[in-house]
Amino acid sequence: MGKDRDPNDDSTDVALIARWKAGDERAATELVERHAPALARFAISLGERTDVDEVVQDTFVRAFGSIDSFRADSALRTWLFTIERRLILDRRRSERRRRDDTTLDEADAATEFDALDGLVAEEAQARVTRAVERLSRLQREVFLLRVNEGLSYKEIAEVVGSTEGAARVHYHNAMRAVKELLYV
Amino acid sequence: MFDCANVEMRELLPELAAGTLDAPTRARVEAHVATCTECASELETLRLVRGAFASAPAVDTRRIVAALPKPPIVAPLPRPQVAPRRWMDWRVAAALTMVTVGGLSVVVSQRRQQNGEDGHAAALPRAETTLVVPPPVRLAVDTQAPAPRPQAPRVPSATIRAEKAQLSFGGGVDDLDRASLEALMGVLDEIERAPVAPSAEPGRVTVLPIISDDTR
Repeated sequence: MGKDRDPNDDSTDVALIARWKAGDERAATELVERHAPALARFAISLGERTDVDEVVQDTFVRAFGSIDSFRADSALRTWLFTIERRLILDRRRSERRRRDDTTLDEADAATEFDALDGLVAEEAQARVTRAVERLSRLQREVFLLRVNEGLSYKEIAEVVGSTEGAARVHYHNAMRAVKELLYV
Repeated sequence: MFDCANVEMRELLPELAAGTLDAPTRARVEAHVATCTECASELETLRLVRGAFASAPAVDTRRIVAALPKPPIVAPLPRPQVAPRRWMDWRVAAALTMVTVGGLSVVVSQRRQQNGEDGHAAALPRAETTLVVPPPVRLAVDTQAPAPRPQAPRVPSATIRAEKAQLSFGGGVDDLDRASLEALMGVLDEIERAPVAPSAEPGRVTVLPIISDDTR
């Protein structure tokens, strides 16, 4: 497909994991520094507001606690995204139970996306942000994983628990919706 | 707002925006975008989205690392096994050393005797040698040793002393009276008590029985 993705990325992650398993704690620091920013971005795209730091930390703790279940046939970042997504959904469910809130589904996903307001200043970016806010949660996840993190449809399907074809459809629907909001 | 019909080019737009395409593919896609208004519009949208969501709140990596579980305890790598030294090895080495040194000393001694350099050894009364105990190195030495010296016909010393004690064995031990039997036992005891004198030649010992005058 002509992608020029750094071929050493995945092998570097595998090597760092092996070093950490061998007792090298500096390898854990390197892994966190490599993936924490992307996890923070993904947490925001999932609607997290103030607990981004905590969500990223919990994701790493959970990942390192079950590192033996990680198989190198997928990228570590994809695996981390999967864990983070599940973590956020679990937190949201327990929060919902606690507050006896209304059911959270894709229709009202936009209301939970205010955290992005403070991240952008320029008008064009503010418009883009608002357009993305109006996407359904699943569309937004797929769209941002594709555009921001550069994941393939196969990887996106792995993260969101869907199929490659469905991920492709979600992406193109999201792109069409954003363009309509921006240019119409 | 229409989508481009060239699906292949469209699918590569996110990678073009991310800058992760290889050079030939990138040139191909850019050439297409230059002539396609739909793809140019979509590429602009992708760049805006990337700009809007590129920043992320700073994450305290140190705090995260501190909260991580400790790496599993790994047993230290086994050191390379060194074969235990067995005391038998030292015994073998010592035996080899003894054989070598002993053999060399015998060779040197015999050469000296042949060359007449060792006056003391040459002056020894060889005829007095009555008992030869070959050491383990004897076999190696014999290959270079001269022909064995003629030895005097060996007469059992017990017989001589029995004769001197005027003992008769004609009818066997049962025929001896008590006095004769005690005399014979005394002679045998003297032979057993005789000291063993070292020989000038290695491996040879000389038995020098000390016989009192009254038994001669």
